[in-house]
Amino acid sequence: MKKVLAQCKKELAQFVRDRLTLALAFVLPLLSLLLFGFAIRLEIKHIALVVQNFDTGLMSYDLVDRFYNNGQFDAHKWSGTHPLKDALDKGFAKAGIIIPPEFTRELRQGHNAHVQVFVDATDVNNARVIKNSVIGTINGFLQDNKLIPVNLPIKSEIRLWFNPGRRESLYIVPGGIAVVLWIFPSLLASLAMVREKESGTILQVYASSITAVEFLAGKILAYLIISGGMAAFLIFCANLFFNIWFIGDPMPYLVGLLFFLFSSVSFGVLIGTGMNTQNSAVQTVGTAGFLPAMLFSGYIYPIRNVVYPLSLITTIVPTRWFVQLSRDSFVRGSGWIYDWYLPLILAVSGAAFFYFAYANMSKMQLKV
Amino acid sequence: MKIISIIETVLGGRLLALMTKETRQILRDKQLLFLLTFPPIVQICLYGFALSPDVQDLRLAVADECKTYKSRELTSALVENRVFKMTGAFDNLSSLMKSVERGNVDAGLVIPPDFDREISQGKQATVQLIIDAVDANTAGISQGYATQMIQKYGQGLVSNPITMPVTSQVTYAYNPGLISSWFFVPGVLGVVLTLTGILVSSVTLVKEKDSGTLEQLLMTPADSWEILVAKIVPLFILLNANVLLALAVGKLMFNLPFRGNFLIYMFVSDIYIFVVISIGIFLATSSKNQRQAILTSFFINLPLIQLSGALSPIESMPDFFRLLSYLNPLRYYIQCIRHILLKGVGFEVMWGDILVLACAAIVLSLSSAARFRKQLS
Repeated sequence: MKKVLAQCKKELAQFVRDRLTLALAFVLPLLSLLLFGFAIRLEIKHIALVVQNFDTGLMSYDLVDRFYNNGQFDAHKWSGTHPLKDALDKGFAKAGIIIPPEFTRELRQGHNAHVQVFVDATDVNNARVIKNSVIGTINGFLQDNKLIPVNLPIKSEIRLWFNPGRRESLYIVPGGIAVVLWIFPSLLASLAMVREKESGTILQVYASSITAVEFLAGKILAYLIISGGMAAFLIFCANLFFNIWFIGDPMPYLVGLLFFLFSSVSFGVLIGTGMNTQNSAVQTVGTAGFLPAMLFSGYIYPIRNVVYPLSLITTIVPTRWFVQLSRDSFVRGSGWIYDWYLPLILAVSGAAFFYFAYANMSKMQLKV
Repeated sequence: MKIISIIETVLGGRLLALMTKETRQILRDKQLLFLLTFPPIVQICLYGFALSPDVQDLRLAVADECKTYKSRELTSALVENRVFKMTGAFDNLSSLMKSVERGNVDAGLVIPPDFDREISQGKQATVQLIIDAVDANTAGISQGYATQMIQKYGQGLVSNPITMPVTSQVTYAYNPGLISSWFFVPGVLGVVLTLTGILVSSVTLVKEKDSGTLEQLLMTPADSWEILVAKIVPLFILLNANVLLALAVGKLMFNLPFRGNFLIYMFVSDIYIFVVISIGIFLATSSKNQRQAILTSFFINLPLIQLSGALSPIESMPDFFRLLSYLNPLRYYIQCIRHILLKGVGFEVMWGDILVLACAAIVLSLSSAARFRKQLS
């Protein structure tokens, strides 16, 4: 135990000495969190819309007014003959609507009028959002003008649970914290491990009486402390900038966080034992750590949309489970009854990474 | 006369020799070639297959307390379009609520016992739909969809069915099938070129510093601009090949459309390659060793990618970050790629973006060249 603590103290001293890694440990995570939290928004709020109105009747003006007054669409000046060619192609509008001549008269006479809607579908997600808003607006227009009965036989009451205002930051930020807390602790730990090899001090470790387990435990303990500080700092900043805080019992999260950081640091150490230069360590953490954490954790886009064979990989990515735990703790407020298995999974993954790191390390040591 | 002498120095002289040296060095470096080919292919495939905002197969649980054919019809009207899929039926409200609370289902539909009776008596029946809105975006889209479906089903129930007086014909331009990889893959093409370009150009330069051979180069009669040009030209050719490789992967794996002009695509890419090489040189001149260069590149790559609109649309960012994104050359490049691949437009639309990219390329390459020369002298 004494050796573990001594090793840990040595790591911490080394860590504080290097300015670049210090910045890496605090500035970069914060920067990432802010970028993830602020810059990732999926839904467009002000959709640029152009309307080509061939009708001169009152109803067509009413419809146009409705589009521009519901807070979702923004008007845009344009000149040309066709909205698709002159506005969507040029990219200054996301949608174009053509109201045909005789629109008002057709409606007054009880005939059917066609409205053409062009949606820029380069951004697939917002194409759906735009279509829904257009149809919703037209339905509202029809109901208010008594063209369809206001009281349909079925009324749907829709309740949005957990996030009634549909704040996107509530979805992105807890996930973002999880991704950041995977990338940087593992990066720092792998660098620390490889540095030992690069400078040759690892041989002194082999020659000393410290065992592989003690050595690894000391290193991991040191980086657990550092990344614990990082986590506290990030959660504090998330509260400051995005106004999120634990809902309900924070214990499952805190326990899960400990195991998650343990697996992240152990993963870094594992990469460190396998690589020989800091360069290749950074590259490997970047590819094997960063990409899965970004893509297979479901932190931007729903995890169920990952295509089948790849979706199997998502189950062994610890970040995925921690993203879920984060959302449960910051948005749902689930508590132990629902989330008991998440810290367990994280603990198992941490133990696995530690074991592999240990196996790798003892391979390098000569048997006495 | 002067032109001939320039051509002579290029062809017969040092520049060619230096370029040969650089090319050989790059081709000999297995790690570099690996970095140029393997990560781009993997990244394009992973991003393309893993990221998708599609709203489909949301787990829907139903608490049908009415149990008549009308209530069952309503349920099947909701699931017919694959947005929702049935995952469970509950007898009572509380177990349904619990299921939503646990996150076992994404939405819960509650049909009250008097649902059928109310409708046949000509009154308005109310159904309740609970949507898990943790994922704000998906919740919004599924809410809009569910409202439409329930409305449509209700209209069909009236004794003299209502025909909608206004038919809206929605056309999805550029991507009629709403294939989400067509949004992501063009963005990732830009991201991949940025990542590999910056990495490869900074590493080749820093390596020379690390091993001390830069001093030896300086002692030769070669000018600093010759050293620089000799470094850039082979990289430029390699990154061109990289662009083609990435495009081919996108085409083969995701069946990306290519509606615009190929030459314009290469032209824009070449301008952008100058931008990334300059950033790489800048990075290399400002760091002492490879480790520092790679770690510092994190600080550059992260904002470059996050504010480029590759993974999430720029239009939806808050104002401050959107304004910030105007400073990001990658933003313009990705916009051009999407314009060329999906929209099939040409210079008449993109001239502004291309102009900005060209300015960025000129400013960045001049300043990084100046830094490089200053460091050498």
